[in-house]
Amino acid sequence: MDGVSLQVRRGTIFGLLGPNGAGKTTFVKTLLSAVRPTRGSALIFGRDASQPEARRPIGYLPENHRFPTYFTGAGMLDFYAALSGVDASRRKKLIPEHLELVGLSQWADVRIGKYSKGMLQRLGLAQALIHSPTILILDEPTDGVDPVGRRQIREILGGFEQRGVTIFVNSHLLAEVETLCREVAILHKGKVALTGKMQDLTAGKGYRLTVAKPPEALAEKVRGCATSMAVRDGWVDFQFPSRELANGAMDLLRAERCEIEALAPTTSTLEEVFVRTVEK
Amino acid sequence: MVTLALIRDTFREALARKIFWGLFALSTLMILFFLFLLRIDIVSGATATITLFGRQTNANPDVDRMVRGVYGAIATFLYTFGMFLAVFASSGLIPSVLEPGRIELLVSKPLSRTHILLGRYAGNVLVVFLNSAYLVIGVWAILGVKTGIWSPVFLIAIATTTFIFAVLLAVVVLIGVLSDSAALSTMVTVALMIVSPILAQTSLMMRLLSSEWSRNLWKTLYYSLPKVYELGKMTLDAIQSRTFAGFTPIWTSALFGAVMLGAALAIFARRDF
Repeated sequence: MDGVSLQVRRGTIFGLLGPNGAGKTTFVKTLLSAVRPTRGSALIFGRDASQPEARRPIGYLPENHRFPTYFTGAGMLDFYAALSGVDASRRKKLIPEHLELVGLSQWADVRIGKYSKGMLQRLGLAQALIHSPTILILDEPTDGVDPVGRRQIREILGGFEQRGVTIFVNSHLLAEVETLCREVAILHKGKVALTGKMQDLTAGKGYRLTVAKPPEALAEKVRGCATSMAVRDGWVDFQFPSRELANGAMDLLRAERCEIEALAPTTSTLEEVFVRTVEK
Repeated sequence: MVTLALIRDTFREALARKIFWGLFALSTLMILFFLFLLRIDIVSGATATITLFGRQTNANPDVDRMVRGVYGAIATFLYTFGMFLAVFASSGLIPSVLEPGRIELLVSKPLSRTHILLGRYAGNVLVVFLNSAYLVIGVWAILGVKTGIWSPVFLIAIATTTFIFAVLLAVVVLIGVLSDSAALSTMVTVALMIVSPILAQTSLMMRLLSSEWSRNLWKTLYYSLPKVYELGKMTLDAIQSRTFAGFTPIWTSALFGAVMLGAALAIFARRDF
């Protein structure tokens, strides 16, 4: 990773995307202090991530988790909640609540070796939520979950978003991220290749104008008639709903001698945005 | 609370892997074996033996020697076969916690890596402590009830067995953290146990070795490696009321264990997962 800097607003669901090897998992692991940065530091709410206390407000669901199969569902929640500092009396109350939340109440006393992949994923989510974190980091949270389970996870996460929990989702399932996240960033070769609001990036059919980064005032003026603006590596992508608006913006930019890189018709799904970004 | 959770987790895993139950069953077999032997002796009707287990035999010095002999046999069993079993059984408990998909979640929790590893270590030591306590106290109680001889010195075997296991476990932990391999951890630790009685022949070797450097090498190895054999012998001497020559095996072994554990903690704290 090189100079990765992301702004994630409190209480939003943020998606981190990228091709294999882009550095998504390394980024998350650095935040969690599972990986030590070769240079620089990772801070969580202003505290050094390598300090255990800095990780207290985090709930984490790893990708390819391997929960010990000797646990029952309730036993696993009890163990990880205890490690997160939840005292015994609160655990007694919270465990049934969280099993209920993820639809596993009936499975509380069953060894998790008998759980399906989807059930393990939901149990993992309960584990990440049980100590009431203010930031939730989920690595491929719906991987292996059936459509009904996925909808359930989305609903649960939506509920926590409403309560002001910041949710950071690391995923390669673009459709899932598109449905779930309010903002996304695309990592490519260890750098942030694109970041923006989901509704801006997937503005639908229209025209995308790519220009060398204009002065801020001009960018804001053009942004006024565009549906979205995304900044990446010294370039800015403006999305326009019509050819007329795109031409008007080009006139404005050329008048200020801004360099135009491209004007192209678009039908933006997140997948298209993703492919365009990583192929550049 | 966190430490307790880590210890309980180690216990849970030891139970699930049948490690605890395996050691427990073996200890039970040993206890039943002595119970059975004593009964056989009684049933056999030999006059001396019947007298041996009657209350009037309390003052009989032969009974005392016999009881100490049994204590010695149990202590020897614990230090040889029991220790091998404990090392084999425990070697998987460290690498298992380092498995990808498990360790990331553990280190993401608000506790230090030192805490994670020490919790695991303590849980593992406790598993062996409880098993050796069960065996020693079981045999001690059976012999005490049957013979009326309650020699508390035998109970020292619980402490010394646990101590030497703790030292050897530090090696298991270090190799486990370095290699993630239960097999390699076991091999290295067992090698240390095997080499221990050989290194203990220091005074003989000082006479046999011709060059100064080889004598120094031998002495270096002797003083730096854990003295499983000598600790076992010290326990045996204590049980059988014999004198032993100094506490060097205890403190050098403790120092070795502390260095191994310290190195394991330092490496674990710097590893990427």
